[in-house]
Amino acid sequence: MTAGLYVHVPFCLTRCGYCDFNAYAGLDHLASRYVGALLSEARLAAPGWKDEDVASVFLGGGTPTTLEVADLKALLAHLRQTFAVDSHAEVTIEANPDTVDTAKLAGLLESGYTRLSMGAQSFDRAVLAVLERIHDPTSVRRAMSAAREAGYANVNLDLIYGADGETVGSWERTLREAIELAPEHVSAYALTIEPSTPLGRKVSRGAVPAPDPDVQADMFELACELLAAAGYRHYEVSNWAKPGFKCVHNLGYWERRPYLGLGAGAHSYRDDRRWWNVRPPEEYLSTVESGRLPVGGEERLEPSDAYLEEVFLRLRILEGVPSSWVEPGRSEPFVESGLLRDEDGALVPTERGMLVLNELVLGLVE
Amino acid sequence: MTDLSRIRNFCIVAHIDHGKSTLADRLLELTHAVADRDMRDQYLDKMDLERERGITIKAQAVRLAYGELELNLIDTPGHVDFTYEVSRSLAACEGAVLLVDAVQGIEAQTLANFHLARDAGLAIVPVLNKIDLPQADVDETRRELAELVDVPLEEVLAVSGKTGEGVTELLERIMAQVPPPTGDRNAPLRALIFDSSFDPYRGVVAYVRVVDGALGARSRVHFMATGLDSETEEPGVFAPEPSPVTALEAGEVGYLVTGLKDVHQVKVGDTITSAGKGRATEPLPGYREPLPMVWSGLFPAEGGDYSELREALDRLKLNDAALAYEPETSQALGFGFRCGFLGLLHMDIVKERLEREFGLELIATAPNVEFHIVRGDQTSVVHNPSEMPQPGTYDHVEEPMVLATIITPSEYLGAIFELCQARRGELLDMKYLSPERAEVHYHLPLAEIIFDFFNQLKSRTRGYASLDYEPTGYEQSDLVRVDVLLHGDPVDAFSSVVHRDKAQQYGRQMVERLRELIPRQLFDVAIQASIGSRIVARETVKAKRKDVLAKCYGGDITRKRKLLETQKKGKERMRRVGRVDVPQEAFIAALRVDEKAEAKR
Repeated sequence: MTAGLYVHVPFCLTRCGYCDFNAYAGLDHLASRYVGALLSEARLAAPGWKDEDVASVFLGGGTPTTLEVADLKALLAHLRQTFAVDSHAEVTIEANPDTVDTAKLAGLLESGYTRLSMGAQSFDRAVLAVLERIHDPTSVRRAMSAAREAGYANVNLDLIYGADGETVGSWERTLREAIELAPEHVSAYALTIEPSTPLGRKVSRGAVPAPDPDVQADMFELACELLAAAGYRHYEVSNWAKPGFKCVHNLGYWERRPYLGLGAGAHSYRDDRRWWNVRPPEEYLSTVESGRLPVGGEERLEPSDAYLEEVFLRLRILEGVPSSWVEPGRSEPFVESGLLRDEDGALVPTERGMLVLNELVLGLVE
Repeated sequence: MTDLSRIRNFCIVAHIDHGKSTLADRLLELTHAVADRDMRDQYLDKMDLERERGITIKAQAVRLAYGELELNLIDTPGHVDFTYEVSRSLAACEGAVLLVDAVQGIEAQTLANFHLARDAGLAIVPVLNKIDLPQADVDETRRELAELVDVPLEEVLAVSGKTGEGVTELLERIMAQVPPPTGDRNAPLRALIFDSSFDPYRGVVAYVRVVDGALGARSRVHFMATGLDSETEEPGVFAPEPSPVTALEAGEVGYLVTGLKDVHQVKVGDTITSAGKGRATEPLPGYREPLPMVWSGLFPAEGGDYSELREALDRLKLNDAALAYEPETSQALGFGFRCGFLGLLHMDIVKERLEREFGLELIATAPNVEFHIVRGDQTSVVHNPSEMPQPGTYDHVEEPMVLATIITPSEYLGAIFELCQARRGELLDMKYLSPERAEVHYHLPLAEIIFDFFNQLKSRTRGYASLDYEPTGYEQSDLVRVDVLLHGDPVDAFSSVVHRDKAQQYGRQMVERLRELIPRQLFDVAIQASIGSRIVARETVKAKRKDVLAKCYGGDITRKRKLLETQKKGKERMRRVGRVDVPQEAFIAALRVDEKAEAKR
């Protein structure tokens, strides 16, 4: 079984109102110390992971492209030295359209970051404003052509739908624009309101309406339709890819393969144990700099936990759950109502089924 | 033993909040019954619940020494639900202080209590209270009260329970005006039980008025209504804390540790006599079995708590002979009990005690009255709407009626007529107590009274109107059962018996409410109201289309699993009706009788 490496970069130019990731604006001065700490953490963690065959590396955040190309290059080189990273491994870096230009992108590609994941979110200015994204739609187009110019042949666009004020019509324009730019991969997420975010607080005090789940369902169905027509294959609830461009790294999470997370707040998983690093960057830095692994917590999965995860993750990636796992009588109502289909003994959600996946999981699992 | 001529047994009767407990506190102080350092407000209202609600639900007797006199103050419940208990307490007295708040004036329960006391043949001492308040209208209230009791104005005393003003005069008046008890101390024992309570260590304690003979410790006694015998453990008096005495003699009031362990064996209104030779042949008059007037299904929110609910009801019943219950199985709510109460207040108190003292979480169905189903010369009794037979299988239905007395400032008469009209009331008569205040009598179905009538009355009269009612028997009525169906399956807990004219409106209201309360499912859920096989209202809860977390990467999986587990627990707490999952909250909210529901009527 192959493993994945995840590296978390917690720096952003600004915080977006909807985002609850472990990310901070105004900590850029810590950047070079942070890169140093990542290298140290990799060394500290390596003994247990040396023998894992690493098939993917993923730099997420935050905004990894806030780091200098030189640092990013050194980081990847170090990871390749420390771990058994496959020479054809998928190496992804997340980018904010405003933090990249052709030169920087060329540098990244040359450093070995062969897959680019760009946070486009929307091509509707009003939607970007609600999300408090600083870029505007033209910078996505510009960044995309810069990526192509730099030689990128594997690019993902992230989209978010269902923000306040977005109509199905506006979402359709965003989808068509995205398709027009012809990325190899599209992630389309229904906006989720997290209570701990500025947007979450606005919703809870009634200043902004919560997304209408029926409208988001319409938007999901539209995404399924337009992306399929444009040649993208739907392979996870929120992910579509041209043939051959599924994200190897993310599939690792869904297929419950081991992964090692480096950086503040990063999660790791292996052998039914999941653990995570301390979240505040300062604490992360001081712990690693004093030569200790910055683990902040862990959980051991009971067989029932592991089973529940296996079921919902298999349903998410359309792998399906073997019908032999499910008690007789539990799946039939879903099959009859068109939420699941039985594909040679595997229960696979339909598009409508994917939208109510939680219900499917609860209905199938005792 | 106190000479009969030196005993005075009396009670204070008043409308709720007219200051009875505060006046009792002053009497305790003036007679030095309680040391100053032990005094606390509303001393006699021992139970927490009573003190918080500001009402007295348990009658209690306290002995006060006043000069040469032994005064027994019998505290009576002040609410319409407890009329029978009040009547038994009155039967233990020779006199009643009729207390009226000089700010509020005469109210409905003033009248009800006055009539009860007069019918019991008691000497009545009319007293105005709260004369210390600047808003008190002493002259006008005195005039009303003098007219009611039919005495000259100067015979109406004016006191302040708060400051103690006039309370000494009141004691003098009680001494002079309340006759001493009569009774034959050599005759066979007859003692009236006017209340009882359960003490976990000592068993059932009866509150008694000895009418004839004497009641001593360690004597064999016989309970005439229940037919039981026991050996008494301890007679005593409340002074105001319990103090044993060698015997309670004719004319005296006190308590008796009965030696029995089950409160059902010691019934309010029963007569205690000696066991064996020398027993009395005639019981004291007036005993009746307590009759529940209002019924409601109580179900544990957690199905597993059924046996705890049973135990809690058994325990409450130890102290509450009027509480009735029988097991009930609801398709929707599972195992529970159909419980009978004296009235709505009684129901609220029982429910609150079950939740507070026993830590139970309950779902209560909407309260209903007891219906009589008449087939030929056969009458069957139904106290659960879901047991009401389908139309065509009986000749007619009868429902309990009441005579309601409402006293109100006259400016609200219009609002009251409107309310009573809407509640199928028939105006019997009306008279002005003064140019500003009127007394109205209505003939009303009890079912209408128990459905939020009191709250409505209060809100439409800014709290000024007061209500009392007494049952007047059953009358034929055009009642129908309205059922509520979820996805085609009837939900027994939502069935209700209502008048035909209001059935459709009721059905519409329930269906609209449920549409708000039932969460979306994976399929459209039809919510229908039906009368027999006819659908009278329909709403649909549209199928849920989206219930999935958008993002699920390395750091999200644990959180996602926990969310699913939470969602699963939520589902497990739901009740499944056919294929439809209904949360507890929906049952509680849909069945709540409140102003919001009323506003829609």
